[in-house]
Amino acid sequence: MSLIIEKYYYEEKKQWSVSLIGEVDIYTAGQLKETFIKLIEEKKEDIKINAEELDYIDSTGLGVLIGALKRLKQENKDIILFNVKPSIKKLLNITGLDKIFIIEG
Amino acid sequence: MSKKNNDEIKLSIPNKPEYVSVVRLTVTSIANRMGFDIEKIEDIKVAVAEACTNAITHGKNEEDNFLVDFIMEEDKLVVNVSDNGRGCTTLNEIKNPDLDHLNHEKEGGLGIFIIRSLMDNVQIISNHGSGTIISMTKYMGEDH
Ligand SMILES: Nc1ncnc2c1ncn2[C@@H]1O[C@H](COP(=O)(O)OP(=O)(O)OP(=O)(O)O)[C@@H](O)[C@H]1O
Ligand SMILES: [Mg+2]
Repeated sequence: MSLIIEKYYYEEKKQWSVSLIGEVDIYTAGQLKETFIKLIEEKKEDIKINAEELDYIDSTGLGVLIGALKRLKQENKDIILFNVKPSIKKLLNITGLDKIFIIEG
Repeated sequence: MSKKNNDEIKLSIPNKPEYVSVVRLTVTSIANRMGFDIEKIEDIKVAVAEACTNAITHGKNEEDNFLVDFIMEEDKLVVNVSDNGRGCTTLNEIKNPDLDHLNHEKEGGLGIFIIRSLMDNVQIISNHGSGTIISMTKYMGEDH
């Protein structure tokens, strides 16, 4: 199992769109971290994550999202997650992370 | 009274990130076979993976393997994850994740909290220098 990351910058919305497909765990989290670092270096704007095909994320992956949000918050930008699967929603709930990311849908 | 023998599966896993997914698949299959519902299977998978991830990142005995032990009882699944790493004496004191750590350099500190939230019973034995055993139990029934 692996992770596919698709990214696109919407000029009009001034927003990154990122689709995560597969699993983010201790093996694939580095890949996600590198992607976020590059995105944020290029344009420090909101990152909207489509989690429709994100099957699994562990604490390592959540740590990467927290790290990216920290950088974005310096410019008052956000991370928005949408189409989140119930099992991942549960994880965001119990950790309280649903209060620091914007969860839609 | 004769004690019923429990079925048991033992895995020895290299301390490498690419093998955590093997444990996830294995525990999913075991819990599914026992008849756990989908939500509980997911809870068990997430918790066991966090314990394995800790064994790899904090156990830090690179040449070594860590052990995952699945004990299948009538009404519950017990999973023990043990490593021979450096251990940690404060492991039992971890409480809620500190989300104000947004201001700190260090990210994380979620794993143990997630394990405690998702499993019915969690015991951690960890001593400086002599490794860590984390024992997690999930019951089949609703009243836990
Ligand atoms: N198997 C282990 N061996 C030694 N120390 C451990 C072990 N598991 C956990 N620890 C210690 O307990 C701390 C908390 O673990 P926990 O999983 O909650 O957070 P983390 O691994 O640091 O970050 P995260 O899980 O969010 O990626 C770790 O930082 C580490 O110091
Ligand atoms: Mg951890």
